[in-house]
Amino acid sequence: MVGIAIAIAVVLVLLVLLFNSLVSKKNRVLNAFAGIDVLLKKRNDLIPNLIASVKQYMQHEQGVLTRITEIRTRALEGGLSDDAKVEIDNEMVGALRGLMVAVENYPQLKANENFLQLQAALNEVEEQISAARRNYNATVLEYNNALEMIPTNMIAAMMQYRTKMFFEATEKERAVVDVKSGFES
Amino acid sequence: MKTSEDFAHYYETDIKPDLMLLEEKRLHIKKKLMPLIFLCAALLIVSLGLVAYFHISIQWMMIPLLICAVVIGGWYMTFYRQFLSQFKEQVIQKIVRFVDPGLTYAQTGCVPKSLFTESRLFQDRADRYEGDDLVSGTIGKTEIQFSEINAKHVETTGREQGTGSQKKRKTETYPIFKGLFFVADFNKDFSHTTIVLPDKAEKLFGRIGQKLQGLNRSKGELIQLEDPEFEKLFVVYGEDQIAARYVLSTSLMQRIADFRKRVGQDLFLSFVASKLFVAIPYAKALFEPSLFKTLVDIENIKAYFQDLQLAVGIVEDLNLNTRIWKKEPPKEEAK
Repeated sequence: MVGIAIAIAVVLVLLVLLFNSLVSKKNRVLNAFAGIDVLLKKRNDLIPNLIASVKQYMQHEQGVLTRITEIRTRALEGGLSDDAKVEIDNEMVGALRGLMVAVENYPQLKANENFLQLQAALNEVEEQISAARRNYNATVLEYNNALEMIPTNMIAAMMQYRTKMFFEATEKERAVVDVKSGFES
Repeated sequence: MKTSEDFAHYYETDIKPDLMLLEEKRLHIKKKLMPLIFLCAALLIVSLGLVAYFHISIQWMMIPLLICAVVIGGWYMTFYRQFLSQFKEQVIQKIVRFVDPGLTYAQTGCVPKSLFTESRLFQDRADRYEGDDLVSGTIGKTEIQFSEINAKHVETTGREQGTGSQKKRKTETYPIFKGLFFVADFNKDFSHTTIVLPDKAEKLFGRIGQKLQGLNRSKGELIQLEDPEFEKLFVVYGEDQIAARYVLSTSLMQRIADFRKRVGQDLFLSFVASKLFVAIPYAKALFEPSLFKTLVDIENIKAYFQDLQLAVGIVEDLNLNTRIWKKEPPKEEAK
């Protein structure tokens, strides 16, 4: 009788431990996403200054600037889903990259101290965002492993946890580094 | 970066004349040492013979041993030290300037202890700290300094022995680090510490080793990075998961792994307060020629050049001159 009680207690303790480890892994994924979110906000904060400093030089690129402002406004709207945030981030990356290419045509701007500082700040935050994405992927890997490995997979099935998607470079981002097709066209 | 061919040319034109003079000096002091060694050997053999013949306590051997130590020590202080200092002043100084004119060399200087402690690479307190051969300066946009360092930890163990004024605690000295210690101003700004150590556990125990590494929290959280080659060579601890990845970009991980393979030795790296620290253990003393080998041999001298190139090359190997992430250019150190 006592033996059975002990056995049940041990199983219960094990279940609690496994359950808790799963919850903590799930929360780490959420936390990692929040880490990306903070940095995206940091980048959005830089944008008004950037626009202000390039506006007077780049008379012919008003379209690009308006687009960046418009994307930023959307990013600041409340109640966005994670997917929407990722989508807006991708658009922003594309637009900013377009701006930086356009800057090449304005030697005066490239020599502007204020602009150079902003560009460095932007580079810094981009690098941090990339680090945050890699961190997110690392937590997702751990979470997904737990969801598919014995014995945590059984508990995960009971809790109806689903595997999460990795942050991957979008088609657009991949296209940018595809030098070969650039030569062919 | 200067090549071996450049060095060979420089060796012929600039270093060799100095070496010829130093070589004479080397032969001269070696000639002085030889009779001393024979004298000491003879003294020891005769004393040993006397001890055996007259059945005197072996403790009396201390006296001839002490005499020998004084004689050889005297030779070292008067001749060899001066020779070494002259060699470093003339030859190493020239090689340092050849490697990069932006560098200066100080034979008695070393990386300050405060920086060694700041690196947080070694947990034991450095109670004895010494070093020499300090090279410092700016390579491109990066300020660097490195020197040979020998750090030891002294531990007082056991109970007090003896009584009254004779009370004494037993102390033991443990080596912490001996080798080349390198500090550079890093090309990104950060405030969180990240430490990269040679991976022992994972190599031996695989996944279980990785779990064990996670339990060792004294250096911070375990950071698991996505580059399998890098992960096999190193274990990374940090105060912040994102900050560690910000510092260790995918390309930097590749560069560190490549550098590790080139050095062919364990590497200890840390990133603290926008600075990079690299410690490379060395068994031999840096920049010290053997008394029993000829100086006028390019292969011997080239080894010093290569040691220097390796350290200075960290800047290029780890791409530290790319400074697109810093808001301000590196500040000049207040002097």
